[in-house]
Amino acid sequence: MPNYDIIIVGAGHNGLTAAATLAKAGKRVLVLEKRPVVGGACVGDGNAPGFAPFLGGMLRPDIIRTLGLERYGLQPAPAKAAFTSLLPGSDTLTLDPDATQAAESIRRFSEKDAARWPDFVAFMGKAAAFLDASYRTIIPPLPKFDLTEGIPLAQLGLKLRGMGRRDMLNIIRALPMTAQELTEEWFESDVVRAAVASLGIHGVTLGVMSAGTGFNLIHNWLNRGGMAQPNPGHTGEIASALAQAAKALGVEIRTSAEVTRIRVERETVRGVTLASGEEISAPVVLSNADPKRTLLGLVGAPELPPTFVWQSRNIKMRGSVAKLRITLATPAANLIRLSAPQSAPASATFVIAPSLRYLEKAYDTAKYGQVSENPYLEITVPTANTLDVHFQFAPYSLKQSTWDLERETLHQLTLDTLSEYIPTLHASRITIHSLTPLDLEQTYGLTEGDLNHGQIMLDQFFFMRPIPGCADHTTPIDGLYLCGSGVHAGGGVSGASGRNAARKVLKG
Amino acid sequence: MTLHTYDAIIIGGGHNGLINAAYLARAGKKVIVLERRPIVGGAAVTEEIFPGFHFTEFSYVVSLLRPEIIRELELPRHGLKILPLPSTFTPMENGDYLAAWDDHDLTRRELYRHSPKDAEAYDEYARVMVRMAMAVKPLISLVPPDPSSLSIRDLMGLLKVGEYAASLSQKDLYQLAKLVTQSSADLLDEWFETDALKGTKSASGIIGTFLGPRSPGTAYVLLHHYMGEIDGAFRAWGFAKNGSGGVTASIASAARALGVKIRTQSPVKQVTVKNGRAVGVALENGDEFHAKVVVSAADPKRTFLQFVEPKYFPDEFVTQIRNFRTRGSSGKLNIALSELPNFTALPGDGPLHRGAISISPSIDYIERAYDDAKYGQVSRRPYIDMIIPSMIDPDMAPPGQHVMSCFVQYVPYDVEGGWTDEKKDQFAEHVIATIEQYAPNFRRAIIGKQVITPVDIERIAGITGGNIFHGELLLHQLFFLRPAPQWADFRTPLPGYYLAASGAHPGGGVMGAAGKLAAMEILKDWK
Amino acid sequence: MLRTTPFHERTSTLCLAQNWRRWAGCIVAGSYDLTLDREYWAIRNAAALIDVSPLMKYIITGRDAARLLNRITTRNIDKLAVGQVYYTGWCDEDGKMLDDGTVSRLDETTYRLTSADPSLRWLSMNAVSLEVDITEVTHSVAALSLQGPRSRVVLNGCCESPVDGLKYFRLMKNSIYGIPVTISRTGYTGDLGYEIWMDAGSALTVWDALMDAGHDHGIAPTGILPMDIARVEAGLFMIEVDYTAATHAIIEAQKSSPFELGLDWTVNLDKPGYFVGRRALEREAREGPAWKMVGLEVDWNPMERLFRQVGLPPQLPAAPLRASQPVFSGGVQVGYASTSAWSPVLKKFIALAHIQRPYYELGTDLRLEVTVEHHRQHTAAKVVKTPFYEPEWKKK
Repeated sequence: MPNYDIIIVGAGHNGLTAAATLAKAGKRVLVLEKRPVVGGACVGDGNAPGFAPFLGGMLRPDIIRTLGLERYGLQPAPAKAAFTSLLPGSDTLTLDPDATQAAESIRRFSEKDAARWPDFVAFMGKAAAFLDASYRTIIPPLPKFDLTEGIPLAQLGLKLRGMGRRDMLNIIRALPMTAQELTEEWFESDVVRAAVASLGIHGVTLGVMSAGTGFNLIHNWLNRGGMAQPNPGHTGEIASALAQAAKALGVEIRTSAEVTRIRVERETVRGVTLASGEEISAPVVLSNADPKRTLLGLVGAPELPPTFVWQSRNIKMRGSVAKLRITLATPAANLIRLSAPQSAPASATFVIAPSLRYLEKAYDTAKYGQVSENPYLEITVPTANTLDVHFQFAPYSLKQSTWDLERETLHQLTLDTLSEYIPTLHASRITIHSLTPLDLEQTYGLTEGDLNHGQIMLDQFFFMRPIPGCADHTTPIDGLYLCGSGVHAGGGVSGASGRNAARKVLKG
Repeated sequence: MTLHTYDAIIIGGGHNGLINAAYLARAGKKVIVLERRPIVGGAAVTEEIFPGFHFTEFSYVVSLLRPEIIRELELPRHGLKILPLPSTFTPMENGDYLAAWDDHDLTRRELYRHSPKDAEAYDEYARVMVRMAMAVKPLISLVPPDPSSLSIRDLMGLLKVGEYAASLSQKDLYQLAKLVTQSSADLLDEWFETDALKGTKSASGIIGTFLGPRSPGTAYVLLHHYMGEIDGAFRAWGFAKNGSGGVTASIASAARALGVKIRTQSPVKQVTVKNGRAVGVALENGDEFHAKVVVSAADPKRTFLQFVEPKYFPDEFVTQIRNFRTRGSSGKLNIALSELPNFTALPGDGPLHRGAISISPSIDYIERAYDDAKYGQVSRRPYIDMIIPSMIDPDMAPPGQHVMSCFVQYVPYDVEGGWTDEKKDQFAEHVIATIEQYAPNFRRAIIGKQVITPVDIERIAGITGGNIFHGELLLHQLFFLRPAPQWADFRTPLPGYYLAASGAHPGGGVMGAAGKLAAMEILKDWK
Repeated sequence: MLRTTPFHERTSTLCLAQNWRRWAGCIVAGSYDLTLDREYWAIRNAAALIDVSPLMKYIITGRDAARLLNRITTRNIDKLAVGQVYYTGWCDEDGKMLDDGTVSRLDETTYRLTSADPSLRWLSMNAVSLEVDITEVTHSVAALSLQGPRSRVVLNGCCESPVDGLKYFRLMKNSIYGIPVTISRTGYTGDLGYEIWMDAGSALTVWDALMDAGHDHGIAPTGILPMDIARVEAGLFMIEVDYTAATHAIIEAQKSSPFELGLDWTVNLDKPGYFVGRRALEREAREGPAWKMVGLEVDWNPMERLFRQVGLPPQLPAAPLRASQPVFSGGVQVGYASTSAWSPVLKKFIALAHIQRPYYELGTDLRLEVTVEHHRQHTAAKVVKTPFYEPEWKKK
């Protein structure tokens, strides 16, 4: 039986990034994946080709370059697309990646906002660049850290100061703001505000009036490289490129190999146990599963300090996103263009976010465990005859029902909402395939269906993600590291957490 | 037109203005306070609304008046007495109640009745909060350094904050960071399971903000309520003899004794600017005052957008002040009662009437109250914090009768359709119906009532938006960002002009700190 | 209203002194007489009946009950036999003492834990993913402590089965006047003694039975203050007096490790599985504790001289003194006494003191601060072995 330096639990994009990075540094790496396919939430359940929990995404360019992923078909800078807000009465607002063109569309709602758009894009670019820098920094346990850990932190501080006084203060201010406050400061048109603010609540169980959605707005802007979803319908290719690169670097990947336990003795990791009963030992284990599942499920509370268990249980997962694939009889783009003639032909992302109030009301129901009757939807058109829909809010914990009973409701609400904006839709529908938060948990192992392995909130950010003291990927178990989205730098598809975790392991 | 010359002019005779004046006078300056109303006190005044019934119209508890101010200005010599509010009583929707009494063992026994685990968690939670209050205190009494500045003063200040953070234990630093960023609902859900306990605790996290308990950032406000505890001067909750007006009356008396001149009925029209410096003020009646220094104890919007022409400020600063959030979210009902409310959960007259009575049965209850307000409605079932000052201070009402102060949230300033008499009646009715649900004799015991909306607070006390803290306690409006980035040290872009009120660091709720800290900064600049 | 114990109906009529004390939110008699002497001597010479019902009590049962107790306490619970009792402390993750108490194994998978502080939350926090039921029985189980050389005879006079065979730190099921009770040979006095555990509803019957059976053996209802003298003589410390629970401590310096409290013998670092505080305790076991709690015995003659100099006979506290008294070596403070007491049986002034390394070694000569007629003086004291007093019949 071969000896491994490192076992990685889970072959999501972060696990694969970490595996490839570690193999590149000469480590013998084994990746164990529960599903028959690799790629985690970048890859579907096989029922609808190209449909995965992540409707779009891109890896950080440095990861693509370092791991030579261009060879496997990935582009460091994917084509940018437009972002269109569908409005009642067949009206639309299209935020084209070209600022001048976007301003043209905005002008119909407000001259002032049109004039401010280029400044806003520039500001968001800087804010995202700062966040990216922070996501490159492994955050040491504060306030007592050694010099080698402190230097990157100091560099981050200098980078922030280097942005200039005004930008620095504005970025600091923007993080704890509500998406509503942030967009209100920039824009006067509710349509423009809402379209932008939708990124602030995308993927989190918060409303545009919740503090900290400013941070999530910047986070999503960074991950997408702007407003629109990158690579819609093609996240599976990210996974396969990573898997190929990893294998080429010598990583062994075993699918249908579910880890049921991370074995620990005296607060030190010893290896893993598979569902088959097979035991594999290694001095270092990285877990790409979410922190809650890793710590409370795979390691188990009895092996962990009680306060840490308490903190782990308090990690806020709270998935409230459902995903739907609608296959149509007629080309989707035609439908949309028919209903919304103003939309740019190159639009790849559409959103139902007509007003701030609409978005906030969609969230209200989630607070009390109900599915939004008027949901916030984000729609991509991966192929001619398909629509992929991101539905919010569909809370994991339903107060008066269960997801087995609510799937039909979810489909109906989606179609009703879409039909309001795309009236021709009803006639052309063929099939719907959906992933409820419960499906996301059961199929993908995402606790409470949280795609980000933990809510992107202020108190789960920076050195507090996932738990204070673990933001540097370490855990109270020696040799056990977290490399998934639940750690600082994670969230969405980016590979940043996997990359950082590998760096941390190599340093330690 | 008459001309008067002083060292310093303070605009506004609220508690911060008076404290600022007193400290400047204590340093030998010739100071005048100009108050718009016929009485001093700003939002902390006591008035006889109905014959024999005295009300603290706006603010109602003095939990947070800084003890060092009480000591340094010798306020007890000027009549200040802070009487304890010993308990909190929360009637529950199922007919039971939850109470926190003034004895630890009694409170524990009461909590134990609802949840043995919560009874234990409560003690630990209180210890954590006290430790956090201790951790935050040095920051509150610090002039916030501007992290973007390269000036020696700011860099030294930053160094101090850095050294201070490094002196905290890892546990405390993390707890503090979480506390600053969490929602009060999430914080309390981590600790407790009893709805009424979580509801009542979360209520202190939303006072003065336009946020629901589920919005991140509200946990920090909870902490302000523990600030009193660590000073040992008095318990967290206190009620001043003669109401909050008693506090300002004692500060005014102390200020006068230090030589401060206080002129009431003197609304300021404009700050006079000469050669790019504030050199005095002009009253609405045309009187002019000259001084080396002009201090505004009004809210930031009045201070910067009304008293001074915008041309004296950089455009960006004006925009920032315009963007400063001042949405009023609370109102008051001041009620004269013929008898005490009789709560079905704990009938009869009892110790509960000497403390706070809180209508806050659960976090969801308060969150739903917020849901109404964020779309421009008065909460149909609001959070209400009642106290009966006449139970603590018999001078407040005729014998056998009572005054009751009901602090109510959420009462939006921007109510849909604007505030009308019908809207005010409706607001009062929501409050009365809510209380009546728990104390059926309440409605018939009412012999008079005064309804105060944020618009009334704006009109009478002169606070923009009627926000009791002169600006919401939001994360991006705290510390070095309050009221605007780069201007959190009480100075303003206009030389000679200072801000010394709740709209400056450390914000409302820490009573008097802004007034005092500003005075110290003004004296540093004095040449 | 504060809580009263299930014996209140009896104790309240007997408590001449009306000297009520708070104990874990209950009121109990501090002493029944106006002075402590008679009750103290009942402990040392006859039989003292002490109401200890306010002790926090938890029943822990289920497949993982031992695993939970192993995880929380520092002892190896796997070695605890049915019918055996362990004394143990327990720590937070930093290896600092949270509380101390006893674990009794009632049957194969059922244990009773006693503690000074409420512990339900801590137990539950540690029980995540364990198959275990935790029930607080503080109020439903009443407890009496019967202490003193005559306690065995008294019990034999009212119990269904004799207690002669019951060994030190063992327990047995028994019955008193038809009431089922558990009797453990434990106590907080350092004398021969037993603790009797019963259903709160039967408390008064058991009290009456014991008082009857003890009538001819000098039984005395005894308050917690005389017991306090006895526990100092026995070298037993008290939470919140001699050490601060880590959860109550505001600063690090207020916390204590089990090694500092002399509980080395209860810390089993080799037991299998995780237990709370292991890493910190392993470190401390390697490096040795910086402090230690030890017994101090005051050299009598110099102290008497200090009083004589001002024309007074030695002034002795009637009850143990809980004020912290500094301890010096060569003029430098090296620790403090947390409790000091006059031992009526030893005729000595003794103290439990926290002393820095290396001054905590047995036999070290130190100086204790005493206040003589409003003036602070130092008097000679020596580090001695505890217990200060241990009668030969204690463990026999």
